Amino acid sequence: MRFNRKTAPGPDASRLSLRLWDFTGTALFNLFVLLFLVAYLSPLPFMVISSLTPHDQFLDSNAPILPSKRVKFNYEGKDLIVYQVPTAEGIKHWALYKPSRQSSLFIDPENPEAGPILWEGAWRTLRANYTFAPTLDNFKDFFAVANIPLYFKNTIIVALISEIAVLASSIAVAYGLSRFRIPGLKYIFFLLIATIMIPSNITLVPTYYLYSGHMLNWIGTWLPLIAPHFFGSAVLIFLLRQNFKSIPRDLDEAAMLDGAGPLRILISVILPQSIPVVVTVALLHFFYIWNETRLSSLYLGIAPHKQLISFAVQRNQTYFFTPEILMVGALVVMIVPVIVLFLSQRFFMQDMIVTQIEK
Amino acid sequence: MDIVNQSRLWSRIKPAKPTRQQQEARIGLLFIAPWLIGFVLLKALPILAAFGLSLTDFKMLTPEATQFIGLENYVRLLRDPVAGANLFESIRYFLLTIPLQLVVALVLAAVFTSERLKNKHFSQTLIFMTSIIPATSVFFIFLGSLQYAERLILTPLNLPPIQGFDLFLPFMTLWSIGPGFLIMYSAMVSVPKEIYEAARVDGAGPFTRFVLITLPMISPAIFFTLVINLTGAFGGAVLLDRGYILNFSLSPMESYINETMFRETELGYASALAWVTFTVMMTLTILLFWSAKRWVYFPEEDDVNEI
Repeated sequence: MRFNRKTAPGPDASRLSLRLWDFTGTALFNLFVLLFLVAYLSPLPFMVISSLTPHDQFLDSNAPILPSKRVKFNYEGKDLIVYQVPTAEGIKHWALYKPSRQSSLFIDPENPEAGPILWEGAWRTLRANYTFAPTLDNFKDFFAVANIPLYFKNTIIVALISEIAVLASSIAVAYGLSRFRIPGLKYIFFLLIATIMIPSNITLVPTYYLYSGHMLNWIGTWLPLIAPHFFGSAVLIFLLRQNFKSIPRDLDEAAMLDGAGPLRILISVILPQSIPVVVTVALLHFFYIWNETRLSSLYLGIAPHKQLISFAVQRNQTYFFTPEILMVGALVVMIVPVIVLFLSQRFFMQDMIVTQIEK
Repeated sequence: MDIVNQSRLWSRIKPAKPTRQQQEARIGLLFIAPWLIGFVLLKALPILAAFGLSLTDFKMLTPEATQFIGLENYVRLLRDPVAGANLFESIRYFLLTIPLQLVVALVLAAVFTSERLKNKHFSQTLIFMTSIIPATSVFFIFLGSLQYAERLILTPLNLPPIQGFDLFLPFMTLWSIGPGFLIMYSAMVSVPKEIYEAARVDGAGPFTRFVLITLPMISPAIFFTLVINLTGAFGGAVLLDRGYILNFSLSPMESYINETMFRETELGYASALAWVTFTVMMTLTILLFWSAKRWVYFPEEDDVNEI
């Protein structure tokens, strides 16, 4: 919604109040957007908190929200847990020495020489004392089971090979669609758009049969994940084509007069002017490979050492299935795409033409 | 007339040297050949094969015992209450999520066009960020933060606990508005300023300007966003694919097909299910494209097919 800055051109006296009003409006507007962002992203901090929290904290319903550990007191070589004990003189922070159901023995950490104190009541109802102490143990536990560097390496290899394949073929096809008069081009383009929307289920069974032992025997290899990209990707072709089309033809014609062939024109005229869209398309493909789980579960389920990161982490999470490990996994998988996105925000989805009116 | 006919005849007998236009078409076809081959091999043939399979009782474990059973799978599908329920659930799902996604993305895009907003670029990236988080992460982030929401907000306020997945749907939906938001935002920014000035001079307020100028001008972007969301609702992905969670799918029809495929290994029936979903999806798509002629603004007349 656009705000009209030029409303009410009042007399000079009101100019100051107008500016004040303008300032308040801006502040309120930004505050509103900030609040939206906070609400929108609110689950993310909990993920970080959870992944740094020790496991037993989740079992204690009285534990604080932030990652913490129990306060311990060393008495006669043993670590005793400190509880908040209600007594006649208010709440005391005592260490539990000998627990039993009806009454327990406590030690006063400030005065251990006094010996055990008897307290009547069920110790299980007491609140433990906690101090803020984030731990990396969850990450250590998870990394000990899941070979993250291997999965990372696998993902990068598959991403790189398929990236080169998909970029080369998609750029070529988009160039063909945007610069050449081909009879029936309109129908080819319509077919391209239709392919974007075909649900993956419909082709799943026959392609699985094609890759299975009955025909190509590619199960347990990366080939089913890589090979289709040599034929280009319909969405990426669509995006590239929209942008190639917006480049004026004058330059190609000039290059053509200089004797440049079609491939030469593509490389030295079209591509240099399409860097943002090529980067966008490359990143979209990278995110796709990074998040890929569908094909991995079909074709790499039997080959644990070849799995890609998203699928492998998901599988390893299910061995633990505790809140903190689930969040560690979630954090490990999402951190790379997020970093890549922030590094590339200058280019990603910027100045991209999806529809006709954008210039 | 005679000369024309004669020359046509002549060219049939003796192929002439290709004209410039023919040559251009040939080079063009060479460039788009990879996609055309891929389309035939990886889309057209498998779709037809799936139709063929749907007419058989093909099972993955015993492919040699396959028999042609005609339309039996489709008859079974009509009688299958689970399939019907799942299909309706899918349709209900996108009737719920698509308008939500569209409206939130549209309002956000409009808010972001304001010159008053600070740190625009960074906030945009933050909004987009949630759309690239892998499904694996999104699912568990949601489950985990539910616990905290309960302890921080619901228990202190004595509210009843949240019923698991009721909230997951709108949550996941809102966390995938990124592409639609960016597309509509860049469309809004590129609407020529003169049109707004002219309307302002004529006395149109901000709301009128938004409804009568912005919305029609960005209608192609809205259309494209609709296409993305529709595909997403059927378990596909257009711009960003966040993958999926093992044994759990947001699209009920998709998970039913997967279950038939892998647990029951009844690929014939699974293909029939997939074909029905495919038909519903394509019908909706064609309806959407057909309606586009009425409400989407195309700057040049014959560019209807160019979105």
